[in-house]
Parts: sequence; C-alpha cells; structure tokens
Amino acid sequence: MDDLERLYKTHYSAVVRFLYRKIWDADRAEDLAQEVFIRAMAHQPEKPRAWIFAVAANLARDEARAAIRRKKHLTLLKDDPVPLTTPDASAEDSVERDERLAQVQGALSTLSQRDQEVLLLWDAGLSYPEIAAQTGLAVGAVGTTLARARKRLIEAYDRKEYPAHAARS
Amino acid sequence: MRHVPEEELHAYLDQALSRSQCVEIETHLARCGHCRAVRDDTAALRDRTTALLATLTPRPLILPPPMAELMSRRPVSVGSRLSVRTRRLGLLAAGVLGAVGAGWLARSVSLPIDVDPPVPMATALPATPLSTPITTVETIAEAPPPPPVSQPRRLELARKPAEDSAPPEAIAPAPELTLVSAVAPDGEGSPGGASVTALPPVAAPAGFDRLWRSVEWEDALVLAGGSLPFINGLPVLGVLLQPGQPGERPVVIVSQQHPSGEILRSIEGPVEKITEFLQRPAEPGLNASEPARTTPDYIESRGVTRRVLRALAVTGRLRADSLTALARAAALR
Repeated sequence: MDDLERLYKTHYSAVVRFLYRKIWDADRAEDLAQEVFIRAMAHQPEKPRAWIFAVAANLARDEARAAIRRKKHLTLLKDDPVPLTTPDASAEDSVERDERLAQVQGALSTLSQRDQEVLLLWDAGLSYPEIAAQTGLAVGAVGTTLARARKRLIEAYDRKEYPAHAARS
Repeated sequence: MRHVPEEELHAYLDQALSRSQCVEIETHLARCGHCRAVRDDTAALRDRTTALLATLTPRPLILPPPMAELMSRRPVSVGSRLSVRTRRLGLLAAGVLGAVGAGWLARSVSLPIDVDPPVPMATALPATPLSTPITTVETIAEAPPPPPVSQPRRLELARKPAEDSAPPEAIAPAPELTLVSAVAPDGEGSPGGASVTALPPVAAPAGFDRLWRSVEWEDALVLAGGSLPFINGLPVLGVLLQPGQPGERPVVIVSQQHPSGEILRSIEGPVEKITEFLQRPAEPGLNASEPARTTPDYIESRGVTRRVLRALAVTGRLRADSLTALARAAALR
C-alpha cells in the first residue's frame, strides 16, 4: 500500500493531465483519475505506474466513446476546454491564454492516435520500455515515434500561430 | 562518418539509452559539428514540445484528495459515486437556495438580518492532510523564516503538527544538510533497483543564504506545486526547498546521483535567483549548465497578474555541455 500511496501522491497530477488532454473536461479528468487509483488499490498491480496509465488510457477511450454517443463531444471541445485561468487573472491574459490553449489543443489533435498516445505517455513520465509495453511498439520504435510526434506537433502549432510564415516556408 | 540518427538523439536526450550507447554518441558528438547542431535543434524541439504540452493542464495546481477519502470510496460502486461536477453543482444549488431562503426569511420577519454568503465551493472541499511531517534540518539563515508559499494547503503542510500553536523556534546556522530522503520517486531511478547506500551528505549549495528545508520527495512535490526538476533514471538523494515570495513557487534543488558517482543538483526557481546563483564563484571543477526555461509563475497581487519567469540549471562535476544536455533532458515531474 505504501508504494501505491507514494505513487498516488507523485503521479495523481500527471494522471489528471494525461486524462484531461484526452477528454478535455477538467472535472471528469479528476473523477477518472480517482477511479484509476481506486482500481489500482483493488488490483495491486505488479508494475503500478505503467498499469495506472494503461487503465487511464482505457477509461479515456471509453469516455470519448460515451461522449460521442451522447453527441456531447463537440460541445465539450467548444465550450469547456479551458478552465486554466485563475479567477482573478486579467481578461486580456485570460483571452491570450485561452487562444494559446486552443491552438495547442488543435495542434495536438492533428497528430495520429499513436503519435498522440506516445507523446502524452512520455510527457506523463513513462520510460521508453513502459511506453512500448502500453502501445505495443518495439522499444526501438518509441524514439522514432516520439521524434515524429514532436516535429508534427510543433509544425502544426506553428501553422496555427504563424500561418503566413508557415505558408511561405 | 556515420551521423547519429535523429531518433537516437531524441532517445539520448530522453535518457533512454544505455550508458555505453551514451558514451558512443557523446564521443561522436565531440568530433562532429553537424551532429552537434542536430542535437541542439532536437533539444530545442523537445523543449518546445514540453512547453506546449505544459499549457494543456486543467489547473495550475492539481492536488490529490486525501488518500483516506479515496480509500473510503473503495467499496462504493463506480456508478453510484457523484461526479466532481455534480457535487459542485449540488453545493452551488444548496448555496443559492440557502441564500434565497435566508433572504426570504429576513424579509418575512422585517428585521435586518446579516445573511452569511454561501460557502465557497473550494472551502467545502476536503483539505489535503499532512502525510509526513516536514523536518527542518537546518538553515543558513540570518533572517527569520521567509513567508511560506501562498497556498493555504501548503501552509498546513509546511508546519509540524506539534508546532501549530507554538512560536517559531530559533534555528541555528550550520554548513551542511543531512539526507532525509534517499529514495527515487518512482522506484525506477536506481539502475537495477539497487538501493542507494553509503551516500555522502548533501551539502547546501554555496550562494544561497536563506532558509533551506530538506523534505521528502512527495512533500516537496506538494509544496512545489506538483512538479520538481528530475533527471529520469537517476536516484534521488534529497530535495531542498527555499520558500519564495507570497504566491511564488519555492526554489527547489533536487540532488541525484550520476552513474559515475558524481552528485548532480537540478536547481529550479525564478530566473533571477538561478542567474544569480550561476554567476557566483563556484568550487574548482564544479560546472553548471545553461539555464533552461520552465513553467512561469503567475502571481496575483492587487488585481494585477505578474508573470515570474523560471528556469532550471544542473550543476555538477561533469562537462558543461553534458550538464546542459542533462538540463534539457531534465523535466518537471
């Protein structure tokens, strides 16, 4: 239990961020993150860190399917992507941050499912072997996938942020 | 001459290669300007990706609910649990109903009644408990303890339970800090799972003269707002924190052991402090990386939001370019 408790404290925020970047709903992401750790306590997995992200990915997938079924997904993307702002932040800061968030979100959505998954798992702190085990890739292919995903994310973001420059180049 | 493939440079910067592979790449980089340029581009690409993804967070500070609360949910089926949103909506509705009811009551008795505003939702949520008391090992301070970090929860965490009502005790200056924690944060930092033994004490770095606290990894993680500088794959020897100004995250030093035995210190904090630290004369043989930018603080003061840029640098007895590569590979975990 101690290991799981430590993992809970150190990885809870990473799991919430990982889920949020898949379902774009802050409250639901926290709900699902707690669900992940509840399941981990029940299962006591041998490799808990890899396990919690595997379960988180599955829950996010189920959530996305359910959202599509409810015809809610587009509404979520449109209305609820950005509870990032602090309540007292100035309106200008808030608008700027919202725009930036929407651009990054849009850039991420241009990546393939595989590239997104690998990139988000890496950003959540998983090692190459853990990413390989979760995605079914060979360990050697993780670096290739990450290299491609990073490049595509930056290119897509630059296309949105600097469209004129991107068109010229 | 065969150049290093780009994906291998990504794996190198991600600390995902074996020691022998790293040596092979570093040897090649030392004599190949083309690959050094590609490495720098790759590191910049990697840094930008990290920075972009860092913006995709639901809140600036994500704290786990108390473990006990999670445990209490175990027997409850998933379907019957109320979602966070539902609970918040319920609290909001209860607050509105309470306010309306109180107003109606006040009007009906035609007496001036002070109606308490509805309880803010944030205070209705359970506070994070103190898992392990934080031990103030020692200080190098002449000043009284600086103001703690801004979050009320952090204030609770920063106190010893027995000291809640006691005045702060005088802390004697001393030159070195003893280790409190010698565990890797995720159990994978130590190659082969070997435990870290017979480690030298982690000395307080020269150049800082305010209060430093040595804290456990998980507590430091909470105090630092959910992220600490961490070089993947290296065991953590200890974490030092220096509280920042109100609303500012603390300056953090994470000491980790390189496979060569050298101790590396990742220092993360406001750019001015990191720059000041790097400009001070260092011990012979001690090098520092170029600072890498990390997530800034947004500090609200008198209705104005101020942005405080933060940076990360790695110091140790390795070559400066190796430290710079490590600083780029280090992430806020």
